[in-house]
Amino acid sequence: MITRQFGSEVRWMLRRPRTLIGLFGLVLVPIIISFGIWTAGEDGGGGGPGLGAIIQGNGMVVPIFTLFLSLNLLLPLVASIWAADGLAGEAQHGTLRGLLVAPVSRVRLLFVKLFGLTAMSLFAVTLMAVVGIIAGTAFLGMNGMMTLSGTTLSTGEGLLRIAFFIVLVTFQMVSIGAVALAVSSTTEHPLVVQAATMTTIIVFQVLGQFPSLDWLHPFLITTGFPGLVDVMRDPMPLNQIWDSTLLAGCYLLIGTGLAAMRLITKDS
Amino acid sequence: MNKRKVTLAVATAGVLTGAAGLSLLAMPAGAGQPPSLPDIAPEALVEQVMTVKPGAFGGTVEVDNKLGLPAIAEIPQLADGKHSGRIWTDGTGKLRLALPNGQSEQTIVDDGKTTWSWNSQTNEVTKSEHKADPKPENKDQDKNSAEQKAIDPATAAKEIVTMTKEFSEISVDGTARVANRAAYELVLTPKPTEKTLIREVRIAVDSELKMPLRVAVLTNGTAEPAGTVGFTQINVGPQDPKLFEFTPPANAKVTTPEAKEAESREKLPEAGLEAALHGKDPQIFGTGWDSVIGARIPAEAMTQVPAEAQGLVDRFTKKVSGSWGSGNLFTTKVATILIADDGRVVAGAVPEQVLFDTIGQVK
Repeated sequence: MITRQFGSEVRWMLRRPRTLIGLFGLVLVPIIISFGIWTAGEDGGGGGPGLGAIIQGNGMVVPIFTLFLSLNLLLPLVASIWAADGLAGEAQHGTLRGLLVAPVSRVRLLFVKLFGLTAMSLFAVTLMAVVGIIAGTAFLGMNGMMTLSGTTLSTGEGLLRIAFFIVLVTFQMVSIGAVALAVSSTTEHPLVVQAATMTTIIVFQVLGQFPSLDWLHPFLITTGFPGLVDVMRDPMPLNQIWDSTLLAGCYLLIGTGLAAMRLITKDS
Repeated sequence: MNKRKVTLAVATAGVLTGAAGLSLLAMPAGAGQPPSLPDIAPEALVEQVMTVKPGAFGGTVEVDNKLGLPAIAEIPQLADGKHSGRIWTDGTGKLRLALPNGQSEQTIVDDGKTTWSWNSQTNEVTKSEHKADPKPENKDQDKNSAEQKAIDPATAAKEIVTMTKEFSEISVDGTARVANRAAYELVLTPKPTEKTLIREVRIAVDSELKMPLRVAVLTNGTAEPAGTVGFTQINVGPQDPKLFEFTPPANAKVTTPEAKEAESREKLPEAGLEAALHGKDPQIFGTGWDSVIGARIPAEAMTQVPAEAQGLVDRFTKKVSGSWGSGNLFTTKVATILIADDGRVVAGAVPEQVLFDTIGQVK
């Protein structure tokens, strides 16, 4: 029963033209990055901070690099679009009413929406990573995966790291999406949801820049993003990754809880 | 109706748990209850610290620095603030250090024969083979051990104890829990006759291994340590031998320390100063806590300082003059450095007056 609802939710999401256009846009990111680094050539690579310095001739870093960059704006945007469509969009079309009066628990409705969000996030992130591996290998070549620590992992280990990173990034995305779902349950205008979510993410990132606000930083979900780069260190330190994931988990709980409270008390 | 109330309560509980979790994550990790350990005589503890041979271990070290030092390009991990690094050693001299710097990383591997230093920012590996000659003349080796001293609490503590043991009152002040291990707090207080900026040095010594786990330096007039180096996590025991091997990545540039040094001397004015202080004939004046290290920068190096470096020097130093001449004084919480205009340099963990008195003796 519930699996049928999950399936139909994902089918619905995939049938929306903007979902497909969005996925297509996401897939372009790793291709453009690989192409850009390839054209920059040997002189352009090798230098600078972070992952950009080790990407030259190291195609397997492209998926990690792409997802790491996209996590700051692009992926939260996509998550907010799906969350906005899920409840506010349905309310706008008048279809939410039907779902609310149906003899199905509203909590179940929320979980179906959350599942759709998770499935689509995982799909989008995996798609980006796979295209990233292909584009990175094609443009930049591949010889195992060189880490930030200067060691070279075998292709198998590299793929494991990428898979782990996909899970981590998806979790961050779903947590942001859960908060967006909470906003989505309060309005009939999908744009409000997207605007609110993106504004929050951007404001969080701006606040994160001020050292004088360091007491606030541990509360911001965006604080956890940079730590995820530890996936590319060898041996992989888990403290920061674990902290970021716990932080996102708190947001997931708050978002889901608020959305449930709103849906339960909502008049049909 | 009732079921709805229950779900509402569950949802509210979820929100509250999330909020509580956030505040819990934001809270700094508590020190926890100090463990109760059998009493130990301070002298015995010092003896054990001096004689213990640290075995194999791997751990994470956090450096909390409030010295007020300007960021030094070569060792960004020592700039003000909290920095962490990871260290592994097999107990027989093989070593691996991983020093993250933002999203980049510096890795130093000593496999017993060769020291490899990798910097992800420049995609460069510096390779220096150990000389067969046991005399530590190899400069790079010196530099690496300086880095190890800065990051490894055990090495740092040993150094401090060796240098100041005779000039300090030594006591054991309770216990502490460091990196989830029970430790004694060994406190070295400079004797009243010592003219130093340092009030006390606290060394947390592991109760079982007798290995120092944390070193905190407290200066006069502040309750918070000016600098702390300590393990936040440690696992004692044999480490993966693979950690002590290093193969330079396929497309990285491999250089030797000599080439690197020549390059950095051109780039960095501090390198000249550092070279002068580590130079052939650093002179040591005095003993114990208030010993002062002196040197003379060659005249040509003084005139070669580029304008922008001069600006940097001016920003962090204070112009001073006296019967000894004139120069720039650089003050941090734990150390003072005096650079005279004629190239004499003196430095020490002492107030400026001691430096003024000493600089005349620099040859």
